[in-house]
Amino acid sequence: MCVSLSLCLVRWSRYNPYYLDPDPSKDARVPESELSPEEKELQELKTVSPIKAALSSDTSSAFNDPLISKFINMMMQDGNKILARGIMTQTLETIKRKQVEKYHKSPAAKREEIECNPYTVFHQALENCKPIIGLASVQKGGKSYQVPVPLTDNRRRFLAMKWLITECRDNKHRRTHMYEKLSQELLAAFANEGNVVKRKHDLHKMAEANRAYAHYRWW
Amino acid sequence: MFITGAVYIRRHYRKAMSGSVIQEKVAKLLSRQSGKPVLRPIKPLALKNEVASRKLKKGEATCVTEMSLLMACWKQNDFNNTVCSKEVSVFYTCVEKAQNKAKAKQGTQGRLLPKEANTLLKRFPNQSSEI
Repeated sequence: MCVSLSLCLVRWSRYNPYYLDPDPSKDARVPESELSPEEKELQELKTVSPIKAALSSDTSSAFNDPLISKFINMMMQDGNKILARGIMTQTLETIKRKQVEKYHKSPAAKREEIECNPYTVFHQALENCKPIIGLASVQKGGKSYQVPVPLTDNRRRFLAMKWLITECRDNKHRRTHMYEKLSQELLAAFANEGNVVKRKHDLHKMAEANRAYAHYRWW
Repeated sequence: MFITGAVYIRRHYRKAMSGSVIQEKVAKLLSRQSGKPVLRPIKPLALKNEVASRKLKKGEATCVTEMSLLMACWKQNDFNNTVCSKEVSVFYTCVEKAQNKAKAKQGTQGRLLPKEANTLLKRFPNQSSEI
């Protein structure tokens, strides 16, 4: 039993595969008539099978975004969640400010195209950074080749986030803050420009160059 | 001679699974009555609590045609993903189908996987001596 102010870890990290993930959202309870037969099966499964403990960062509020939570976790260093969350909120605020400024400065005709919601900007920017095909190292006949390979959704999301974070950490002036650089990169990725999207295109070009080795895959 | 856990019992013996039938067969193989015995075991003829692992069957590369179409589209349109969105979606559907197929194929075909069999045998091993 922890006595200090810090949070107690209730959730284990390794669960049996049949444990289901918790759904913290308030609209999880839908009336039975609106469910399709597969969803009804899923609901019945939820009543019988055990469910993992919820993370302390998952809330039932409307502002809980799993993608943003994942990004915050990836940005976090040495367990400093407070700092990572602070940077994220500052980034979203900066994006909103820049977009609203752009909105007010632009003529009436172009105002509708400008996206002011920082969450949609973030989601779209991340989508634009996700690679479609990756490269895997396959050994054949003593030599290893870079083979173009389809990636899973989790892997693509991870790569996009990783590229964003490394880009913002390495290629910035030492006096610019992380949130400033992140907001710049996110807005550039939203418009399909910038270094992260360029890195994604480079990966695609490499995959295209190595398309002859596609048959070396066995999965 | 050590017989490994996967002893392929013939179909007509499945009904009479009593140990006596197998004991009779083993006794016949060891007997010296009709010439030299077939088996000359060094260790006792008992099953191991392990199954031999199967060789992984090498499949083929999936979704190569969709990938090549996507790459051709990319080359024509300078790697623009909005223009090639149709090829991208086709590629994704193919990948999903291939993944589902691979998952479904793994566990079925009526037999236990060697890994699963080994886990079960570790938990419920064959008794080598009476406790």
